[in-house]
This record gives sequence, structure tokens and C-alpha cells, in this order.
Amino acid sequence: MPSPEPEIKNHIRRLRFDHGEMTQDQLAKQAGVTRHTIMALEAGKYFPSLLLAFRIARVFGALVEQVFEYQVIPDPAETLRP
Amino acid sequence: MSDSEKWGWWTLGVVVLTIAAYAAFVAFLKHGPATSAVFALLALTALPASSRRYFTGRRFDERESAIANKALLAGFRAFWVAFVGLTVAIGFIKGWDATLSVPVWTLMETLWWAVVLVLGVQALTTILLYRGESHA
Repeated sequence: MPSPEPEIKNHIRRLRFDHGEMTQDQLAKQAGVTRHTIMALEAGKYFPSLLLAFRIARVFGALVEQVFEYQVIPDPAETLRP
Repeated sequence: MSDSEKWGWWTLGVVVLTIAAYAAFVAFLKHGPATSAVFALLALTALPASSRRYFTGRRFDERESAIANKALLAGFRAFWVAFVGLTVAIGFIKGWDATLSVPVWTLMETLWWAVVLVLGVQALTTILLYRGESHA
């Protein structure tokens, strides 16, 4: 049986809003990536490297854990087991 | 649309144009050196699809690099499958001890088709990966 799929959630959109409604383009330039990559990150279609995660966190002056959140979705079969 | 995606569409367009031109030439001229000349159209893939990237010298970011690597790998995988399939098919059809004698243009065309395959699959994979497929 496959192991539960881990998910990395991020709060980039909210953090952008909290930082004076920073645009995706501004964040992209400061993080050294394209706007398309920021869009993919926000949509959860791309998981960044550790380096990029740190760069984005640094732009917001936050810890990596405050930007990215690691979640493991529990396997229903596992939770039902006594 | 990102620069890499533009490259994908441009390259796919050139590949389709080459195949169409080849089909048209074969219909009128039959197979031969003149028909093989159509593959010169593939030189268009060398033109920059994005003048912005070309003139600013902007490099790939990590996501673009990951997509470019996956696309290139997909292209060469397709080539490898075709190469093995063709080789084995020739062996079975012609016999493993048979001698093949082909005109030079046939050999050249085979190589051109390999380039078409690699570029086509690479371009298509690039487009598909940018079209929302999740990739780490």
C-alpha cells in the first residue's frame, strides 16, 4: 500500500498581502525567480528547493516554517485500525 | 506565458511545419535528396523564441531548469525507444545476418527524423509541464 502523500502548504499569498500587498512580480524579483514560479508555488503546483524556500522566507523576514507548512495526510485505513 | 513555454510552442511549430513540408515534398517529388532538404527548416529551432531572454541573458530559475531537464529526458527516452524498436524491427524483418545497402540520403533522413522526434517530444513535454501538471 502506498504511503500517505505529504503535502507542503504555503502562506505566500497571505504574506504578500501582509507585506503591503506585494505583487508576485516584486516577490519574484527579490527571490530571484520568475513570476510564473511564484504563481506555481501559490497554486501548490510546485514545491521549492530548500534554497528557494529560505530566499522567499527572507524576503518576508520570516522563518521558513512560517511560510511553508509540512502536512502529512493520514491514511484512512491507518486511522481506522485499532 | 513564460519564455520556456514560448520556446516549446515555437519548436513544436517548427517541427509540425517540417513534417508538413516533408509530406508535401514527398507527394510531389517522391523520396530523395530534394525531399531531405526540407529538414533544413529545423534550423529555425535555433532562433530565440523569446527575444527578452536572448538579449537580457536571463538564466533559468530552478523550476524552469527542472522542467527543461524533464523535457530533455522525455525527448531522449522517446528517441531510445524508437531506436531500439527500429533496430530490432530491422533485425527481425531483414534477418540478423542480412546486409543493408541504402542511399546516403536515407541515412541522413533517419538522423533527421531522430532530431524531429527528440525536439517534438521535448517541446510537447515542456508545454504539458507548464500546463499545470504538478512537479516537484
